[in-house]
Amino acid sequence: MTHIIVIGGGLTGLFAAVVAAEQGASVTLAMKGRGGLSLSHGCIDVLDRSAPSRSLSLLPEHHPYKLTGKANLKDAISRFRDLMRHAGYPYTGKISRSMSILTALGTIKRTSFAPSGIARGNISSSGSIVLGNFLGFRDFYPTMIQKQARKAGVKIVKVIDLPLLDQPNYRDAYSTDYAHLFEDTEWREEVIRMWRPLLPGVKRLGLPAVLGFQSHCEILEDLEDSLGIEIFEIPSLPPSVPGLRIERILLQQAEALGVRVIEGAGVIGRIDGRSRGKRVAGLVLHSTGRTVQLDADVVLLATGGILNGGLVSQQNHRIRESVFDLPVHHPNNRSDWVGLSLFHRQAYASAGICVNAHMQPLGLDEKPMFNNLFAAGGLLSGACRSLDGCRQGIDLATAYCAINEALR
Amino acid sequence: MSSLSTQVLVIGGGATGLGIAWDAALRGLKVVLIEQSDIGQGTSGRHHGLLHSGGRYALSDPVTARDCASENKILRQIAPHTIEDTGGLFVATPADPVDYPDRWFSACSQLNVPAQEISLSTMLEREPLLNPRISRSFLVQDASIDSFDLAHALVKGIEEHGGVVLLRHQLASLIRHQDRLVAAKIIDLSTGRSLKLSTSILINATGPWAKTTTAMAGIDLPLALGKGTLIAMSHRLVNTVVNRCKPPSDGDIIVPVGTVSIVGTTDVPVKEPTSLEIEPWEVDLLLAEGDLLLPGLRDSRPLRTWAGIRPLYQPTESNDSQTRSLLRSHVVLDHEETDGLQCFISVIGGKLTTFRLMAEETVDLICDKLEIDQKCSTASTPLPNKMGKFYSLPSRLEKLEHQDPLASSDQIVCECELVTRSDLELALENATAGTDLDDLRRDLRMGMGPCQAGFCSYRSYAISSERSSKPPSLKELCNFLDERWKGIRPVAWGSTLQQMELSRRIYLDLLAANQDSEDCP
Repeated sequence: MTHIIVIGGGLTGLFAAVVAAEQGASVTLAMKGRGGLSLSHGCIDVLDRSAPSRSLSLLPEHHPYKLTGKANLKDAISRFRDLMRHAGYPYTGKISRSMSILTALGTIKRTSFAPSGIARGNISSSGSIVLGNFLGFRDFYPTMIQKQARKAGVKIVKVIDLPLLDQPNYRDAYSTDYAHLFEDTEWREEVIRMWRPLLPGVKRLGLPAVLGFQSHCEILEDLEDSLGIEIFEIPSLPPSVPGLRIERILLQQAEALGVRVIEGAGVIGRIDGRSRGKRVAGLVLHSTGRTVQLDADVVLLATGGILNGGLVSQQNHRIRESVFDLPVHHPNNRSDWVGLSLFHRQAYASAGICVNAHMQPLGLDEKPMFNNLFAAGGLLSGACRSLDGCRQGIDLATAYCAINEALR
Repeated sequence: MSSLSTQVLVIGGGATGLGIAWDAALRGLKVVLIEQSDIGQGTSGRHHGLLHSGGRYALSDPVTARDCASENKILRQIAPHTIEDTGGLFVATPADPVDYPDRWFSACSQLNVPAQEISLSTMLEREPLLNPRISRSFLVQDASIDSFDLAHALVKGIEEHGGVVLLRHQLASLIRHQDRLVAAKIIDLSTGRSLKLSTSILINATGPWAKTTTAMAGIDLPLALGKGTLIAMSHRLVNTVVNRCKPPSDGDIIVPVGTVSIVGTTDVPVKEPTSLEIEPWEVDLLLAEGDLLLPGLRDSRPLRTWAGIRPLYQPTESNDSQTRSLLRSHVVLDHEETDGLQCFISVIGGKLTTFRLMAEETVDLICDKLEIDQKCSTASTPLPNKMGKFYSLPSRLEKLEHQDPLASSDQIVCECELVTRSDLELALENATAGTDLDDLRRDLRMGMGPCQAGFCSYRSYAISSERSSKPPSLKELCNFLDERWKGIRPVAWGSTLQQMELSRRIYLDLLAANQDSEDCP
C-alpha cells in the first residue's frame, strides 16, 4: 500500500487526502494550522468568464489548467460534487456556463458551482427577491445590497427585519456565531414562529450565509417548508460558514476513510532517500512539543500561497517555498511585487513554484526535483486567482491530477 | 463671487497656520484661516509625533535646540492632553562616534536642554529590548505628541475666540494693489464656488507649498524641500522615545505612539511638495538603523509607511545638495523688506515643537504692522480639550467594558481600533457634505490598526451607504482601501503582505468590489 503524506489542510490538501484514500492509499494529512477554507465563499470559481470551459484554451501556457487539462478539471469537480452530495450538501452549476450570484456588497459575482442554498440566489432565476435583515449583525447590510444591486439592474423588492431569539453578543458576533444558533431545532421552531407573520407574499428570501453547519440542508428545508418560501444564502465576511462546511465534510470523509490527521504539525525536515537524492524518503514533523519522523512513498505539498504560508515573502526580495525551499518564480525586486491599487493585477499573486504535467515541482534545470514529490493548489505559479476567478478550480484540478499521478 | 473681509488671512491649516490664527484670535484680531484639504494633512500630520526635548539639535542647530527646550515646557502646560510623557533616551551604539556623547552632553548643559546620564542597567530596566551593547545612555525630556489632537484643539480655540477656519478652501490667486497685497481669491472645493477675501495682512503658512503661494504674488522664494520617510511598526516596542546619540542622520529615532512604534527618518531632497513616493532603500535603511537600537526590530512587522516634506529656508546659493545640513530653525519673512510687497508674510520651516513660538513672532510682527498693542498670551493660555482621548484604545476599552454587550447599536465595526457602530454613526451625523471614509478614519482612527481596514471598510461603507440618500458609490470604498494600500506597499513582505492578500480575498474573491468598472480602478 502506498503511503502518501499530504501537507496542508486547505481545500487542496483535504480534497487530495480524500481522493487518495478512496483510491486505496494509506494517507497521512499534516496540517500546521487551519487551512484557508474559512476565508473562502464556499463556491467553486473555475474561471471568471461567462463560459469558462470554452475560455480555458485562451489561458496562457503556464496556467495550472494548461497542465491539468480540461478533462482532469471536469473529473475533479465531479468528484468533489459527489463527495458533497453524499454528505448531504449538494452543489449545482455547470462548467460551460457561469452563474451570477449577489455578493454581500450588492455586486454580482460570477462563479461556476455553488452549494444549492447559494445557487438559488442566481440572479437570472425567476422570483422577486426580498432580503432579510438580522438586526445587529455587523457583517450583512441588506439595505446597502439593495441599493447597490439596483445599479447593476437587479431589483430587490424590499428588506424585512427578521428578529432572532437569544441573539449572540451583538458587539462582536461573526457569521459562525449565528450558524451555531441555527443548529438548534427548538430555537429554530421559535424563530420560524416569529418570522411567519412577517413574510406574507414573499417568494424568495435572501439571508446571510449563516444557516447552520452540519445540518445546513435540513435547516434550509425546514425554513423553506415551514415558511412556504424559497430561501437563498449570500456569503459575507470571514469566517465563512459555507467554507467551513466544506472543511467539516472533507475532514469527516478523510477520517472515515482512515486518513491519519495530524494537526498543528509543521514540517521541519526532509529525509532524503537513495536513488541519487531524487527521492523524499520521509519527513520530520514538529507537533505539540514533540518531533515525529514519518516515512513516505509519496509527498504532496498543498501548503497554499502567500496568504496561507506555503510561500513566504521576505524583505530581502525573495519569496521562499516554506517546506522544501523549492525554487519560486517571482519578480526579483520586491517593489515589483505589489501594484499601485489593491484592485490591480499583482505580481506576487501569481508567484509560485513550477510543476510539470505530472504536478512534480521543477528545479532550475526544469527537471523534477524529486521523483516522488508532487505539489498542488495555491503555491503553484502562473495564475492571478483573485482577478481571474479560478482559485477553487485550480485547487481541485491540481489536487486531483497530483494524486492520480502520484498513485499511478 | 461673494466677498468677505478680515484683518488677518492665514493660508494653511498645519500647526504653523493654526498656531498663528490661534495667537491672533487670542489677541482680539479678526482672523480667517483657509486649508485646501483637512487640518494637519501636510507636514504637520506626517511626522513621528515627537515633542522634541531639544537634544536632537544640541550640536547641529543650537537655536532650534534652545527653542525646543523652552517650548517643550510650555506645551506640557498648555496642551497636556495632546502629549504622552514618555521621556526620551539618547543612546550610543557601537556604530556611533565615541567622542560624540561627551560633546553632546556639554552642549545640552550650555543650552539648558535637560539631560542626565543613566547607567546601562537602569536603561535596560526601563527598556529591556534595547541593544545591550549600547555604551552610554542619557535621559531627556522628549515626549510623544499627537499633532491631530493639537490641530483639533487649536481649531476649537480659534473658533471659540471668533476666528473662522475654512476647510477644503484653496487659494486661487493673490490680488495686489500697487505695492500692497489686499485680497485673495479662494475656491470652495466642495462646492466649486469662488470667494474674494479682502484682508489687512496675509500670512503664507503653506509649508512645502510656500513657494507656490509666493509665486502667486510674483515672488520667488528660496525654499528647499526634504522628504522624510517613516515606518510605523505594528507593536509598541519601546515605552520611551529612543534617539541615537550621534549627529542627526537617517533612522536615528524610535517614537512610541499609542499601540505602534514609529521609526524615523530619512532626508531626501525633492523638488515637489507632492513627491511622497517611498523608495525601498529608505525602508531598508530605516529598519537596519532601527535594528541597531532594538535588535530584532527588522524582523517585527511593519504596519505602514508615510513620508512628509520638510520645508527649509535656503536664502543663499548653497552648493550643499543635502537638506539634512540645513538649519531646522524657522523664518518669519516680511515680504515688504525682502521683496517690497506690503502686507504679506511667509512663515517657513521650524518644528512642530516650536509652532507656538513661530506664531508668537509672526503675530508680534502683524501687530506691529497693524499698530495694535496686544501682547501674546498663548504661552499661558491652556488650549481647549475638545474631546479628550476618546479614540485611544484604553478609553475605548473602558467604555466597552461598562456597556451592555447587547446594546444593539454597539457592534464593533473596527476590531483593531475598537470603533463601534455608534461612534461611526455619531461621526456620520456630524459630518459635513463631501465627507468620505478617509475623513471618518482620521476622526475615528478606523482602519488604522493591524488589518489596515480589511474588515471595517466593508462595514463602515455599508453603514454610511445605508444612511445616505444617495446611491452607493463603490468608488469611495475602493479609494479608501487604496489609500491604505498605498502606505503598506513599501513594506509589502512577510505578514504585512499576507494581510494585504487577505484584503484582496475579501474585496475581490468574496465581494467582487471590482465588478462595477465605473467605480473601481
